[in-house]
Amino acid sequence: MIQTIELFPGIILRCCRSDRFKQGCLSVQFLRKMCREEAAINALIPALLLRGTKSCPDLRAITLRLDDLYGAAVGTQVRRVGDYQTTGLYCGFMEDAYALPGDQVLEPMVAFLGELLFCPVLENGIFRADFVESEKRNLSLAIEAQRNDKRVYAAGRLLEKMCSADSFGIPRLGTREEEEKITPQRAYDHYRKVLRESPVEIFYVGAAQPEQVAALIKPLFARLDRSYVNLPPQTGFSDPPGGSHCEEMDVAQGRLGMGFVTDITLRDHRFAAMQVANVLFGGGMTSKLFMQIREEQSLCYDIGSGYQGSKGIVTVTAGIDFDKEAAVKAQVLELLRQCAAGEFTEEELISAKQALISQLQGIHDSAGAIENYYVSGVLSGMDKTPEEYIRAVEKVTAEAAAQAAGTLQLHTQYFLKGVR
Amino acid sequence: MEVRNYPELKETVLWEVLPNGLTVAIVPRPGFTRKLCYFATDFGSIHTAFSVDGKAYTVPEGIAHYLEHKLFDMPGRDVSAEFAAMGASVNAFTSYDMTAYHFTCTEHFEDALRLLLEFVSTPYFTPESVQKEQGIIGQEIGMNEDAPETQIFELLMQAMYRDHPVKEPILGTVESISEITPETLNLCHRAFYRPDNMLLCVVGDVDAQQVKKIALQVIPDAPEETVTSTRVWQEELIVPKSFTSREMEVAMPMFQLGFKCQPLDRGEAAVRREIVGELAAEALFGEASRLYLNLYEKGLIDASFGGGFETVEGMAMLTASGDSDCPEKVQDAILQEVSRLTQQGIGEENLLRMKRSALGRRIRGLDSFDSVCFRICAYYFSGFDYFRFPALYRDVTEQEILDFLKETVRTDRMSLSVIYPKKEEE
Repeated sequence: MIQTIELFPGIILRCCRSDRFKQGCLSVQFLRKMCREEAAINALIPALLLRGTKSCPDLRAITLRLDDLYGAAVGTQVRRVGDYQTTGLYCGFMEDAYALPGDQVLEPMVAFLGELLFCPVLENGIFRADFVESEKRNLSLAIEAQRNDKRVYAAGRLLEKMCSADSFGIPRLGTREEEEKITPQRAYDHYRKVLRESPVEIFYVGAAQPEQVAALIKPLFARLDRSYVNLPPQTGFSDPPGGSHCEEMDVAQGRLGMGFVTDITLRDHRFAAMQVANVLFGGGMTSKLFMQIREEQSLCYDIGSGYQGSKGIVTVTAGIDFDKEAAVKAQVLELLRQCAAGEFTEEELISAKQALISQLQGIHDSAGAIENYYVSGVLSGMDKTPEEYIRAVEKVTAEAAAQAAGTLQLHTQYFLKGVR
Repeated sequence: MEVRNYPELKETVLWEVLPNGLTVAIVPRPGFTRKLCYFATDFGSIHTAFSVDGKAYTVPEGIAHYLEHKLFDMPGRDVSAEFAAMGASVNAFTSYDMTAYHFTCTEHFEDALRLLLEFVSTPYFTPESVQKEQGIIGQEIGMNEDAPETQIFELLMQAMYRDHPVKEPILGTVESISEITPETLNLCHRAFYRPDNMLLCVVGDVDAQQVKKIALQVIPDAPEETVTSTRVWQEELIVPKSFTSREMEVAMPMFQLGFKCQPLDRGEAAVRREIVGELAAEALFGEASRLYLNLYEKGLIDASFGGGFETVEGMAMLTASGDSDCPEKVQDAILQEVSRLTQQGIGEENLLRMKRSALGRRIRGLDSFDSVCFRICAYYFSGFDYFRFPALYRDVTEQEILDFLKETVRTDRMSLSVIYPKKEEE
């Protein structure tokens, strides 16, 4: 299904050939180790690349070029995958089959992507100062905008408190302090360094043959001066307990966060069991958290848990009234105890497994989901196809799910409450 | 079933009006494992005034959304758990002019379809359960009050509209929902959840005959009574308030600007008008416009800036929104640009490029099951067959776009809504 072609050492192209979609997608990701000093500058680079190229020197020229390609879209893509941060570009474009006779999209799209990545508009040999300034500003706003969405904000604060030493505590887009230190010279030097030494993952989903895609992309990278450095392997979580934290803000609704740790990561043979345990506990509308705390007791509007398999972290977040903190916490711990003690029905187990299986079955229905599944999987060390993964979920027994739930230890608590 | 083919989109849709009055639309997706189903009614938060067999009713604001929540209750059954046991995930939403219940699954599609149709067509409200829902929806209203992007839109609607119910929040208020009773919920269900007021739309690799069969088995015939609801509101095009603002916990000021337009009619003319509005927005402040580049390079807007043409039944507006330290300067620049544009024109080549881009984006959007299902329903309720959009793009002329801009982008039709960051307390 996925064909892997090593274009050059450390530059891998993966192709999923499919003619079922009207939109093809192509992503180019440079891989970095997640670290406090680099997170912001890595996030900034792709934004700078989208400001102008030698032949399209400003935003408008870029948009006009994309409009000619039937409204193709190019965006920045900055991901956190375990201990890694990826930085790069993602494009979505109409398949050639829908273009007017004689028109092509894929070929000029790839050429333009190469131009965006490798021919940025420069001034005195470095990035233009005004572009760097305005993209720094956009980045700082994106970092601060997380305050606007209280769910995102509270979830981020919980992780920061939980992972004081682990890379997982570093915000995905870096911090304001690091953002402020960026100069046009530093940004350009870092960009050259990223091109020179980072492993590169390229992913294509679409109707073209992998060999054809490789032939289009390979020349773009041929002239790069490379001395590529491999990344250290992914690690599990080992921070000391994070305690209990409370923060006040002028909000109408409180946000509760509870962080749990487990030694099961997605590189562990018990991974599927942990996934099932998480869904049973708090993933979705039939989970214990949702059914008991929201539906039965009306203690919250929303509640759910998420499992970060690359690290071995489960977080529970809920929107609640300020005076319900103690009651909700006690309930969460009680419901986790029930999961670990195997106090769930056969139906609950089947629902949890079905929900996971449905998600996995749906991956091949969307180009974006295919890209996300394989890129995240490859980088975090989970080498199962969706089909293999489905078989692993099917085999999870009640005992295995309970044992997995039993590995969860409360590590950190966070509460965002109103000022009055 | 009637088979409609759209060769340029490589799409087919099967349509049929069943004897019980329900319209069914099926978009086959051979080879895909996922299936998506929408069961939608032409009833949203703005439909609070209606009559049944000549008797007039006014129901509390927020009732459409309340009803959406309560329909998930079935006597002695747990609907969400039953869907989950099939590996299906079910949800619903209420907008200003539509309520839709939907599920997605990969297996057990027919069982899930039956369950969807059953729970939506089975009203079951007890005083206790209606009472209990007030707590849950009260929390949801509280969450919206903390959400700047909802607040900014609701404020804008209050500034722009005097009579149209779009000025009221979709969820209603804590006060208005306290007036909701099992009787009012039953009344709305009877009036608006009639099969002839609904659409069943399925996207995926399914057996069309089975879909029809199940819909006929589960859905009773439409009742023999006449329902008419208020769908036209007397609104002047001049806005009551040109500026509105609030302070909230945001990092920088957020704005939304609206230009009030003539409400759309129904059918093809309306969709053509919508495409004119969309292209006008592109020409005026889209990413390929001069204005966008100019504002971006001056730092007056950032990547959050965007806009377009938005419609709700009985209302339409051209809108732009984003983060900015000086929303008034963005507003002034838009007004200035429109006079330049209407004088100098767009240019044939630019118009072609804009159309090609808009068309390509719509075609790419057809990969999304959710977007296809949603659009088929929304356009069906406004009397248009969605997949006919390519022909409409070809027909739109530069003059139509310029006329639209001249008539719309005027100070007396404009309101600006701003959310400012809270001032630090000394």
